[in-house]
Amino acid sequence: MSGNDVHLSDQEIVLCADGELSSHRAARVREHLAGCWICRARAAELEAAIADFVHIHQRRVDSQMRPAAGLRASLKAQLAEAAATERKSRIRLFPSVFLRQLALACVPLLIVMVGVWRMRSGTLRPFGGIVRLQARALPDRVLTPGFTRAVKLDDLCGQRHTDAPRVVDTSMEQEVFKEYGLSVSTSKEYELDYLITPELGGADDIRNLWPEPYASTAWNAHVKDELEDRLHEMVCDGKIDLSTAQKDIATNWIAAYKRYFHTESPLPPKGTSMRS
Amino acid sequence: MASTAHAAAPSEVEIEVISLFDQLQERLFGYVLSFGVTVHDAEDIVQETFLSLFRHLQLGRSRRNLRGWIFRVGHNLALKRRTTNRVEPSGVAYEDIAALHSDPSPSVEEQIAFSQRQQRLLAVVDALPEQDQRCLALRAEGLKYREIAEILGISLGSVSMSLARSLARLARSDGR
Repeated sequence: MSGNDVHLSDQEIVLCADGELSSHRAARVREHLAGCWICRARAAELEAAIADFVHIHQRRVDSQMRPAAGLRASLKAQLAEAAATERKSRIRLFPSVFLRQLALACVPLLIVMVGVWRMRSGTLRPFGGIVRLQARALPDRVLTPGFTRAVKLDDLCGQRHTDAPRVVDTSMEQEVFKEYGLSVSTSKEYELDYLITPELGGADDIRNLWPEPYASTAWNAHVKDELEDRLHEMVCDGKIDLSTAQKDIATNWIAAYKRYFHTESPLPPKGTSMRS
Repeated sequence: MASTAHAAAPSEVEIEVISLFDQLQERLFGYVLSFGVTVHDAEDIVQETFLSLFRHLQLGRSRRNLRGWIFRVGHNLALKRRTTNRVEPSGVAYEDIAALHSDPSPSVEEQIAFSQRQQRLLAVVDALPEQDQRCLALRAEGLKYREIAEILGISLGSVSMSLARSLARLARSDGR
């Protein structure tokens, strides 16, 4: 815009409408608009185009937006877990600032040493990763990302549910305990659980197994069993997709429990344990 | 998980992240959806973005323009997800809108005219270059030009030119 006789460009009109011009330039644009019907009409056309796009964009979002409560609960659970893990590792291992700094300096060396040791002992998975040597309510995502088998919905929903424990190959069981840094002698305290239960298409695969504590946490194996039953029922009733159920339970089963049971804490168990 | 059962009070960072989630998750979700990813993927990306924010803040990193930071991370994750899933750029989801939402006006002629106009506008939006679509979507979610420029890694001038060009095309498609 060089003078009142020169019309405004689309860019100047949009910049002014979006409040992106300096006060001096914005004043000049407004002054021009006040005296020029052609530019005012053009500004109105561009405003109408903005309204059209917002309308399209907003409708698309509204049509696909689901209530945020589930997502929020899931995020809160993951944040709490991340914070707790971080707190524990800081407090337990490095109570003083000096030791923390010293430890940080030693981290690269430690990583190399642990890697070498694990490769020698044959416990390092092909895709690598240093594991936390403890079992917990949520599995290590690197060691246990979840693994499914090809399965038809009819087969899953047609099969009779059984409370009988599944038998996992002993060598695989030992391998799972070993990679989580647990002795097999402590196995009574844990359920060797499928992350994605076979009733939801989970596979007999080491990537789908982890030692889940029975009683040391509120979010224990019995609670997860309840979720598995709920998800199986919902999948077979057509309320959710099988892939959604698999993904939810594999990503964070505690968050999934909260979402599907609408609760922040585990409900009292219905009965005794039921291994999946 | 024992830590959940006997949970410590949420830290300041956790509270801050949840607060930002409450403020921005709907906008971020809308932006991520514009990449044509599924709803489930969009929700995953939103969640992953805020977990990344938590880690970012825990490490004491910069707090400058966290809104822009959140959208930039969401943008990168959406691009990555789209590449992984091989979703074609441009809004598959946009195309469904005319079918999903019909004009509630009583006249059949008006409904047809409304639907035709929607289709025409959708076609224009889908035909825009990828960067122009991103600029429009970010601006529609309330971001300032400087934030858009940072998220997309382009200049301020490019943002204003892109927006003016796209709006002019939309206006022209409607016979304006």
